[in-house]
Amino acid sequence: MKRSALVLLAAVIALAGVLVVVWPRTVEAQPQLAESAQLRFVLTPASTKSGRNSFDLRVTDRSGHPAQGAVTVEPAMPQMGHALAPITAGPAEPGRYEVGDVDLLMAGQWEITVSLNAERVVIPLLLT
Amino acid sequence: MKRSVSILLLTLGAILGIAGPALADGAQAGADVHVAQTLGDRDLTVIIRRVAEVPGPVHVDVVTHAGSPAGEITLTARAAGAATSTTKVVLGEKPGFHSGVLRIDRPGPWELAVDEATIPFVVPALVPSPWENATYGGFIAAGVLLFVALLLAVFGRPGLALVPTAGVIAAVAVAATAALLSPSIPPLAPPGTQLDPTFDNVNDPYQRTSIVDFSRPPVNLVPGVRGDDLVLSLTDGSSGRPVDDLLVHDSAFIHLVVVSPSGNLLHLHPIRTAPGEYRARLKAAERGTYALAAEIARRGGGVQLLRSSIEVSGTSAARPQDGKAALATEIREAGRPSTITAGFGERDLQPWLGMLGHMIVIGPVTDSPAKAPIWAHVHSMIPPTPGLPDKPDESVAAYGPDVPFTYSFPLPGKYFVWIQAERNYEIVTVPTVVDVPAAKGVSEK
Repeated sequence: MKRSALVLLAAVIALAGVLVVVWPRTVEAQPQLAESAQLRFVLTPASTKSGRNSFDLRVTDRSGHPAQGAVTVEPAMPQMGHALAPITAGPAEPGRYEVGDVDLLMAGQWEITVSLNAERVVIPLLLT
Repeated sequence: MKRSVSILLLTLGAILGIAGPALADGAQAGADVHVAQTLGDRDLTVIIRRVAEVPGPVHVDVVTHAGSPAGEITLTARAAGAATSTTKVVLGEKPGFHSGVLRIDRPGPWELAVDEATIPFVVPALVPSPWENATYGGFIAAGVLLFVALLLAVFGRPGLALVPTAGVIAAVAVAATAALLSPSIPPLAPPGTQLDPTFDNVNDPYQRTSIVDFSRPPVNLVPGVRGDDLVLSLTDGSSGRPVDDLLVHDSAFIHLVVVSPSGNLLHLHPIRTAPGEYRARLKAAERGTYALAAEIARRGGGVQLLRSSIEVSGTSAARPQDGKAALATEIREAGRPSTITAGFGERDLQPWLGMLGHMIVIGPVTDSPAKAPIWAHVHSMIPPTPGLPDKPDESVAAYGPDVPFTYSFPLPGKYFVWIQAERNYEIVTVPTVVDVPAAKGVSEK
């Protein structure tokens, strides 16, 4: 009885070890911060998978006040030498922008250029 | 005794189950090679299909395009020290696919000759990697040692059975480590794209090289005219020797974009006729200066653009290109991404050179295209199909009808723009002119 319990325990530990090693890890969609001379951009992608995506974008000045005006998002994939049409989005609420329907069809390293007025930043985005 | 026999039978069954034939499954070696060739008066796409087994057949598809004369071409596969295989392919009046089958008898660097054009290609060898061997070998050893341990235990030597049992644990540890770590082992430099392919390195791709930087010197381009043909001579920028290591990139060795004196665009794919010598027929040659630019990729390096111009004493009268498409343009100031979308009406476009469409941009034009500072080649891509590693060939006429391009014109001014797409095996060329405004509020630096 005691022995079979030990065997069971060993099996559970071995299984847990295997799961820790082979469990598929996905890249979490993290907010990405980029700062220009006057503005602070925080871009959070809805997903880190290739395909249709959308961005949640917060733009403030360096002291935290929401920025004014419309942003332009220019996705590009430098490795393929390929750029997508730019997308312009107005604020959903002051300083917050929803950029929907971004077709990032290929997995790999993308460069998302975000500009507001004359300020522009480049935000890297890795898609799996 | 009865018990021992049943244990033996069970163990035997287990071993046979584990140590079945260790086939290298799922290893997809190589892919189809698509090469566009401007061969005489014909515009061909030669597709060398993936070689399934060696020795065995290699299937070659020759795709003809509209305006390509009917006739017969000879396909020859040859390699140093191997028997040459030849077949003839009859090209019909109707543009489309024409197939031929050749035979190859060994992996290594091969050459496919299509009449006078030669296409070097590599037939990869199916070689199991060292970590594959460690994984399979480890599990097989574990199975055999388990059998030995059980035999010893059954025949009353439990003490001795401890030795093969320790071996089982060691062998399983080796196999599991190799299997778990193999995805993170960086791939080796493949012969053919990074290294010059030889019979030795194709058959033993896991031998280590000391090279870490595979890039090569730039290339000098000298154009010439011989008869009706443009002849390009490519020499190494550091040694002056002929450059014979061009890779197939975007389905061609050289993408030669030519603008005639009257402003017509030709997108040619010169054939390799000798090491460092490429040739393309210049149809309906006009008199005057042709501007040309060649895109090439050397083994181990990136793509480079070689620009030049040449005087041609042709006699043909200029006939303007008249491809039609509904163009929707949104031109932004210089340095910002502009979009041009060509609408071709029906959803029946075919991939050409692996792309949905091509846009050639030359400008700002003040004098002649040869002197324009910007010369660009923009692609509109085929959306990737999940689960299909090979790209669709020209037989798939299911793309479009809108062909979008995004390009940031670097300088303000007048640009000549041509958009190219394929329909019914015919390349449609749509010329247009774009005026790009200067950037607002940006002072001259």
